[in-house]
Amino acid sequence: MKRITPATIGLTAVVALTLTACGGTDEGDSPGTDGAAAEGPVTLTLAGWSLSTTPEFQTLADAFHEENPDITVELQEYDATNYDTQMTADLAAGTAPDVYVQKNLRNFYTYQSGNQLLDVSDVVAELDEGTGGAEFYEVDGASYAVPYRQDAWVLYYNKDLFAEAGVDEPDGSWTWDDYATAATELTDGLEAAGSEALGTYQHNWQSTLQGFALAQTEGADLASADYGFYEPYYERVLDLQEAGAQVGYGTITTNSLTYQAQFGTQQAAMMPMGTWYVATLIAQQESGDAEEFAWGLAPAPQSDSSTTGTSSTPVTFGDPTGLGINPAIDEEKAAAAKEFLAFAAGEGGATALAEIGITPALLSDTVVETYFALEGVPGDDLSRFAYSTHDTRPENPVAESTATVQNILNDMHSAVMSDSAGIAAAIEEAENRAASEAGLG
Amino acid sequence: MSTLAADERPRPTAPAPAAPERPPARRRPGSRLALRNTLIGWSFILPNFLGFAVLTLVPVVTLFYVSFTDWNVFGVATWVGLDNVTRLVGDASFHRALLNTLYYAGVHIPLTLAASLGLALLLNRKMRGVAFFRTVAFFPYITSVVAIAVVWNMLFSPEFGPINQLLRAIGLADPPGWTTSSTWAMPAIILVSVWREMGYYMLLLLAGLQTVPAQLYEAARMDGANAWQRFLNVTLPGLRPTMFFVTVMLTIQSFKVFDLILVMTNGGPGQSTLVLSQYIFQKGFVENQFGYASTISVALFLLCISITVVQFLVNMRRDA
Repeated sequence: MKRITPATIGLTAVVALTLTACGGTDEGDSPGTDGAAAEGPVTLTLAGWSLSTTPEFQTLADAFHEENPDITVELQEYDATNYDTQMTADLAAGTAPDVYVQKNLRNFYTYQSGNQLLDVSDVVAELDEGTGGAEFYEVDGASYAVPYRQDAWVLYYNKDLFAEAGVDEPDGSWTWDDYATAATELTDGLEAAGSEALGTYQHNWQSTLQGFALAQTEGADLASADYGFYEPYYERVLDLQEAGAQVGYGTITTNSLTYQAQFGTQQAAMMPMGTWYVATLIAQQESGDAEEFAWGLAPAPQSDSSTTGTSSTPVTFGDPTGLGINPAIDEEKAAAAKEFLAFAAGEGGATALAEIGITPALLSDTVVETYFALEGVPGDDLSRFAYSTHDTRPENPVAESTATVQNILNDMHSAVMSDSAGIAAAIEEAENRAASEAGLG
Repeated sequence: MSTLAADERPRPTAPAPAAPERPPARRRPGSRLALRNTLIGWSFILPNFLGFAVLTLVPVVTLFYVSFTDWNVFGVATWVGLDNVTRLVGDASFHRALLNTLYYAGVHIPLTLAASLGLALLLNRKMRGVAFFRTVAFFPYITSVVAIAVVWNMLFSPEFGPINQLLRAIGLADPPGWTTSSTWAMPAIILVSVWREMGYYMLLLLAGLQTVPAQLYEAARMDGANAWQRFLNVTLPGLRPTMFFVTVMLTIQSFKVFDLILVMTNGGPGQSTLVLSQYIFQKGFVENQFGYASTISVALFLLCISITVVQFLVNMRRDA
């Protein structure tokens, strides 16, 4: 008996392996999500970055495993800054994990057009309609990733500084002109009160300005090579810079100012920024990296009054973070991977993420409730409205030319903001470059 | 085999009288020794050569192929013939990057050469603390580029930076915007890179200076040559081999400048400090156009090699 057992095990293993190998070569239908999970325990690998400081991946993996004890999700760590470069190399080498993150929309096109993403239209079809950003991953009617988190840009404001300057807090009805007026009034009021803080802080990223312009201008399109719509946004910001109501672009770049320090140490009374900063600000106020002060969220200022007010839906921008499946995944694992995607983008994943202060793509009432139950999140109605109600447009609409165009627009941004070129001249140069380098227009 | 035979020929030391009797038996130990020596030689360079072949030679050769294709990393590279070259010729951004690179090299090379030679002459004398000053001059070179870029950026800050405060203090009403101005960004970068690299080239030139025979100076002095004449007629000719090496290295370094610019200005404002290697990086790793990025790399390679060849030719003519 003792001798037979190992032999039996060996034989079973050989048979099992042969069968699996045969199964692997079968060109069967792609497994669906309808409970066709692989039998027996399955282990999926999931990409993540800076795992010690970015808990969202482990949170999703644990929450999913709790609901599906048969499926274990193991993390494969990447470097946060070089994530896409490393992922590209791993995909090309065939060593990438089963499920990997679409860190931004800019690189999604490369993965999708390079056939590095499995069609997950069946998962998307089952998603809650309120899931933000799902349609951004659509190419020719098919979906190649699901969004699990989606931050949107809002306006952060320091209630203490507003009170000190004697300026009315935002009420949700602001256009960009109202914002500019408030910034100037705040700067004057604060100066009179003996404070050195400025009215607002606008970080030097191109997104900070161009993201709003693209989202809020009717008919604006990166692929049109017609970039006149940026002009009013630049005029306003240059005026604010000129008036001293916000720190100059040159000072930000040469002194490597961080937005966390600018708003967190009360150097500015307002700041347009993404909702990811909520969790950071709370953590920094707790750790002492940021000062203690009362703050709130307001909807992003709008280009005109047609979308302002708490009875309408303000337009803002933000790229979702998504999950996609590596097409090299073992066939029997694909069903499990799709289940994981459905979970991460669904209510279960959303609640788990909201519990650790991350903005999920699905903002249902329960999710918003969970988020606002966190300690430190401002509880006023306007903050809740700003956080949960918005029409979020993509910053990087998926297209072949997007990466090239964004590079061109980044050059335009630095040229205009540093006062190296006039707005009109810089826009014209960007349009010419878009035509010659990306073949647009 | 031909190398073995060649190795064998200049060996007249073997016992000559035995030669006519048993020629085949004599050949063997010699060729064996040669083979052994060759193998030992190979075993010494093999680790290095393997690394070079796998990590440098093969990728470089592949690059030449990729430069004639359209490739986004995934899947197969499509052969497009000379399309990339045609695109390069008409690409305004490439022209801009090329001009900026030439601007950088054209100012950076002579400035660094002059600064490092001046430093070397200054520190090539017997005085107290010379080792300390040599170390100080070399220090920027071993400091991290990122740290250098961040600190200099602060020094250059248009409003609050110490440099502009100093300029205002000495009566300059409207000091330059340095890295935030498209006119002044390149001079600012050149200044920093001269400061950073002069210590390294100073070290090379110092070594060269020590090889100039002292009696030549003595003889020149006897002939009544003044300091300038001694520099012109003794120091410079004596330094020529070192100068040649330094100039070639400096030229190649200047054409492939990347890290400092990336951290200091990232090519901006606008495209005012965009250089070729950064353009390659943008097209390749940011926009995933690896075929076109390779074409630009080949252009940069051709530029570097043609300038180096010219330098060699000039040097050879002077030698003759």
